[in-house]
Amino acid sequence: MDVSKVRAEVTVLLPHALRKRTGNRGAVAVAGDSVAEVVTALDDAYPGMRFHLCYETGELRPYVNIFVDGENVRYLQGLQTPVAPGARLHVIESVAGG
Amino acid sequence: MASQPSLQSDTILLTVGTKRGLFFLTSPDRQTWQFQGPFFQGSRVFNAALDQRAGKRRIFAAVNGDFFGSFVHYSDDFGETWQDPARGVQFPEGGERKLENIWVVEPGRADEPESVYVGVAPASLWESHDGGETWQMNEALESHPTRDRWNPGAGGLCLHTIVPDYANPQRMWIGISSVGCMRSDDGGKSWVFANKNTRAGFQPDIYPEYGQCIHRFVQHPTDPNVLYQQNHCGIYKSTNAGDDWTDIQSNLPSEFGFPIALDSAHPDTVFTIVEGMARQNITEQFTVYRTTNSGETWDSLTNGLPSGPAVGLGVLRHGMCADALDPVGVYVGTNTGQLFATADRGDSWRLIADFLPSIYSVRATIIA
Repeated sequence: MDVSKVRAEVTVLLPHALRKRTGNRGAVAVAGDSVAEVVTALDDAYPGMRFHLCYETGELRPYVNIFVDGENVRYLQGLQTPVAPGARLHVIESVAGG
Repeated sequence: MASQPSLQSDTILLTVGTKRGLFFLTSPDRQTWQFQGPFFQGSRVFNAALDQRAGKRRIFAAVNGDFFGSFVHYSDDFGETWQDPARGVQFPEGGERKLENIWVVEPGRADEPESVYVGVAPASLWESHDGGETWQMNEALESHPTRDRWNPGAGGLCLHTIVPDYANPQRMWIGISSVGCMRSDDGGKSWVFANKNTRAGFQPDIYPEYGQCIHRFVQHPTDPNVLYQQNHCGIYKSTNAGDDWTDIQSNLPSEFGFPIALDSAHPDTVFTIVEGMARQNITEQFTVYRTTNSGETWDSLTNGLPSGPAVGLGVLRHGMCADALDPVGVYVGTNTGQLFATADRGDSWRLIADFLPSIYSVRATIIA
């Protein structure tokens, strides 16, 4: 086994609205070296998750925020933001309405 | 299928889609109403329909979330549980289109009980032929040669009305805001415009082939070639399946309105609501209009409807419907959350619900 090909495992924290997809689990572990890879891994494990997070065009939905270790990926490299082994990703909907 | 003992046969079910969830109102007699909901609280439910074909009782809901996307959910137990399709309404991944909102869900013809149709923004028609489990986009509409020249109206480039012709399985009409009425005569393999003699008063050429802002249309229940249409610029009747249209505004005080409904037992009786350009009742009296002669003349229906200097109500395109009883019941939901009903063809009205979120749609079905 080529250890260098093993992707980093990260923890993704999900809001209540998305937990129906994960059997009510608020935290799930998936592998990926970038936010995009994590989204793909989430969708593989919990089909339909990508559509919740991203439009069909691939862009992140405007009122969905993903934080990598506390930093909003919109101010990093977006979906191409790298994630380190053991990182914690928070998915949080925007504050809306005032 | 889970049982729902509170819903006996002959109960009237109103599915009321609002800005903040879906509500059910049920009544055994159109006098007393029971209230359920909200379902999908917090989401914009543009439309919902009870499908009773082939012995089922499936409610479809067009649910538009503010954060995590739009979905057609369905319930076989009157809202106790909701299911997701195995393959939902989603444009191809990596393409140019992204789903903005799901506007309408329409069960198909009686003899195709597994077929359901959905209209969305950006304008696109979706079909399911397995009862809503999987959805496919209509490719002919997507690749229509004029597609690049369709421009959105104020509500977006939405496909909001779908009428499968009950008499011709190959024929269907659709309505797209700021594009107009389109018809297919080959089972959705091609689409032609059906807008002749309808106006687009906001364009230099007011009678274009397409570009009309159609708001809603309905089909006559016994003469399949007759359609009634409420448009941004007029109210119309077609007697030839949309080949051309005749203006039936007559004595209506405005050409502008959204909803239209029809008395299925007396199909020369049509109801509409017209508004001023402020998109509210024109005078201080909230009014529903009724013709009993197919649009030659219109009566103002006001008995039981509110009036006063502070009364400014708007009704969206799916905010009014009729039931299938005789005398017909008509239901009017406003964009300020009032729901009015009549059980006597509009002669008298009652407020049957208030303080709802903004009402997007009302649909009445009699439980079989």
